[in-house]
Amino acid sequence: MIACEKLYKSYPMGHGRRHVLKNINFAIHPGEKVALLGRNGAGKSTLIKQIGGVELPDSGRVIRKMTNSWPLGFNGGFQGSLTGYDNARFIARIYGASYSEIKDFVEDFTELGKSLATPVKTYSSGMRFRLAFALSLAIEFDCYLIDEVILVGDQAFQQKCIDELFVKRSDRALLVASHDMTTIRQICNRGALLNEGILSVYQDVEDAVDAYERL
Amino acid sequence: MASFRQGWNIQIRVINALMLRELTTRFGRENIGFLWIMAEPLLFALLVGFLWRSLKGPLEFGVDVIAFAVTGYIPLVLFRSCVQRGVSIFTANGSLMYHRQISIVDFALVRFLIELIGHMMAYVFVGVVLYTFGLFPIPHDLGFILLGWSYYSVFTLALILIVAPLSELNEVIEKIIPVITYIMIPFSGAFYFVGSLYPTAAEVVLFSPLVHGMEMMRYGVFGPAIDPQFDFLYPLTISLPLLLLGLMLCRLVRRRLVVE
Repeated sequence: MIACEKLYKSYPMGHGRRHVLKNINFAIHPGEKVALLGRNGAGKSTLIKQIGGVELPDSGRVIRKMTNSWPLGFNGGFQGSLTGYDNARFIARIYGASYSEIKDFVEDFTELGKSLATPVKTYSSGMRFRLAFALSLAIEFDCYLIDEVILVGDQAFQQKCIDELFVKRSDRALLVASHDMTTIRQICNRGALLNEGILSVYQDVEDAVDAYERL
Repeated sequence: MASFRQGWNIQIRVINALMLRELTTRFGRENIGFLWIMAEPLLFALLVGFLWRSLKGPLEFGVDVIAFAVTGYIPLVLFRSCVQRGVSIFTANGSLMYHRQISIVDFALVRFLIELIGHMMAYVFVGVVLYTFGLFPIPHDLGFILLGWSYYSVFTLALILIVAPLSELNEVIEKIIPVITYIMIPFSGAFYFVGSLYPTAAEVVLFSPLVHGMEMMRYGVFGPAIDPQFDFLYPLTISLPLLLLGLMLCRLVRRRLVVE
């Protein structure tokens, strides 16, 4: 289980502060697939960053009783000037995993070929996500945090993602922030909606999507 | 105990990974690769040494001028580059905050360790090379050289841990760091033996923990003839509280750090 307790987060804005998250109470249990919905700027990424421990909340706490991936998305987690291989090596080292196994999996899963030997800063956002996703699958987490991007790439690649994450690892939890309601309906069973800093949690993803569409 | 050991293992893994990463990004894998870390202090010390040799003659305060310059300059360059490289390291490494096992203190520690290793390698290398040319004495006491390095580097580490978070809080810090490191030169103990200063001047410079470290190192190299002046306790009463202050500042900044 990963739980947020009375989470508040604000950022400096001019002379005051902008309160992005106000009293968030929320939990993800093993195996749950939770959609995180909200308009642009509603604080979805901010919430994911607090859960992932990338940033620390002003007050409140995040309780982690299972391992979670770093937030997988367009940016973060990589050193742009290093190659895909070097980043894989680095991640293998800090998570104490075997690089040779990770390397094989990443080569096979991402299909990035020779691009893996070029600096990550030259990657498209889709390529970055493939690499981040492959690495996080290779390391194995109990809960995957996914920010904005999922099921990128062509049909074949999407099928591979679905196989790896929903078939082989169906026991894992998932928190996905996305605007793509088709994908959300397809993969999530619960939903949460962020609006003006307040999080509303829905037991059924359909209710969350309805609430989102009424915004 | 198990959790302490786990934490320790993770810490070692992270430091190791960060050091390898920093070495790769800074020096690459081309030609001599990471050996470049000792190139800068080496060149600095040797060039200044030979410059002094030609300006001041073969002796300075009764010891070989090149040995004197080298033993003073390498630690000083360590101090300066550490403090300067400490600026904005948290923002620069922000994307690594995505991995929860990495803490921001690790960035400062890794920078410091890399500089320390590089400069100590340069110190040993240059000592051996100069010795073969008869320009460097056989060290009087290796233990004191190491002890002096430790005193010197603890203070340096404390300053990085303070400069790094302060530079995130206020941009003025970045602008004044070069001036401060320049002003610190007389307080590094690099250009004199305290024993040869006027007593009032000696009293003033001995406020700096760096001077104690430098005197220990030089006692270890040149022996008692240089009349070394140092205290074992005093430098720690400055360095350790500063170290603690640095760690507290890091903690404060971590709370405020905004990661892209």
